Amino acid sequence: MNERLRWLAVGLLLVVGVIDLYYGNSFAGFYENLWYVMGGVYIFAAIVIAANIEPRFSQLTVFAYTLFLWSVWATVAVETGTGLDVVAYADKAVEVVLAVNLALLFRSSRVYAVV
Amino acid sequence: MTQASGLIRKLSTPKLLAVVGIIAVISGGIVGVSVGYAIHYTAPTTRVFYLFNNSLPFNSTNFGGIPHDIFSPDRITVDKGDTVIIHYINIEDEPEPHTFTMYSPYNIDYFVPQGQNVTITFKANWAGVFAYYCTIHPPTMTGYLVVLG
Repeated sequence: MNERLRWLAVGLLLVVGVIDLYYGNSFAGFYENLWYVMGGVYIFAAIVIAANIEPRFSQLTVFAYTLFLWSVWATVAVETGTGLDVVAYADKAVEVVLAVNLALLFRSSRVYAVV
Repeated sequence: MTQASGLIRKLSTPKLLAVVGIIAVISGGIVGVSVGYAIHYTAPTTRVFYLFNNSLPFNSTNFGGIPHDIFSPDRITVDKGDTVIIHYINIEDEPEPHTFTMYSPYNIDYFVPQGQNVTITFKANWAGVFAYYCTIHPPTMTGYLVVLG
């Protein structure tokens, strides 16, 4: 179960990372270019989770990062009306699934650690 | 530091996830407000233009058949990422059609008969200077889309 959740997280992180890189490339502007950085961090996070480095720390950190970016997007969207397009919606939908997956993974990892 | 890690160990998993989640969402909101303020004037937006045909004051038959038709305006400037809406209206007083044609990468082609209009909508995803033509009245009926970015 734990392994399945971990590899699902890796897959979702890669998907979100690629979408963010695409968004940074296709939609210009200072804010959109930030998506490049976000995508790069997601792909780095995918490598860390895949390698299972300090899982209890890294899984919780990536979970927080996902919620952090979701919150940034929502706030900027409400404030300026940017990032309200199909690509961004798809990206944020995958991020929600990723956050749930990471929460389950962290819970599962912590149980294993305690045992 | 030791107290903090001790507190983290003491928290149950759902509580720890909730605390971390709330901190992440609040800090994301604060950063989002700052980013929203910073990009307020540069964010991609929707830009609306009205485009007409016009004519230069000469008789085309006296100039080897070179047409006197032109675009008005012949320069449209937007930022990369903007959504561009062009209302193109053929205001000819005789039955003369025009086209609005852009080649790669935008690939747009509209035929507009006399007295008709079309609404052309696209996203300016590529920066640079791109010509738009009436393929019926070259070379005078040429304009330029300038995409900054």
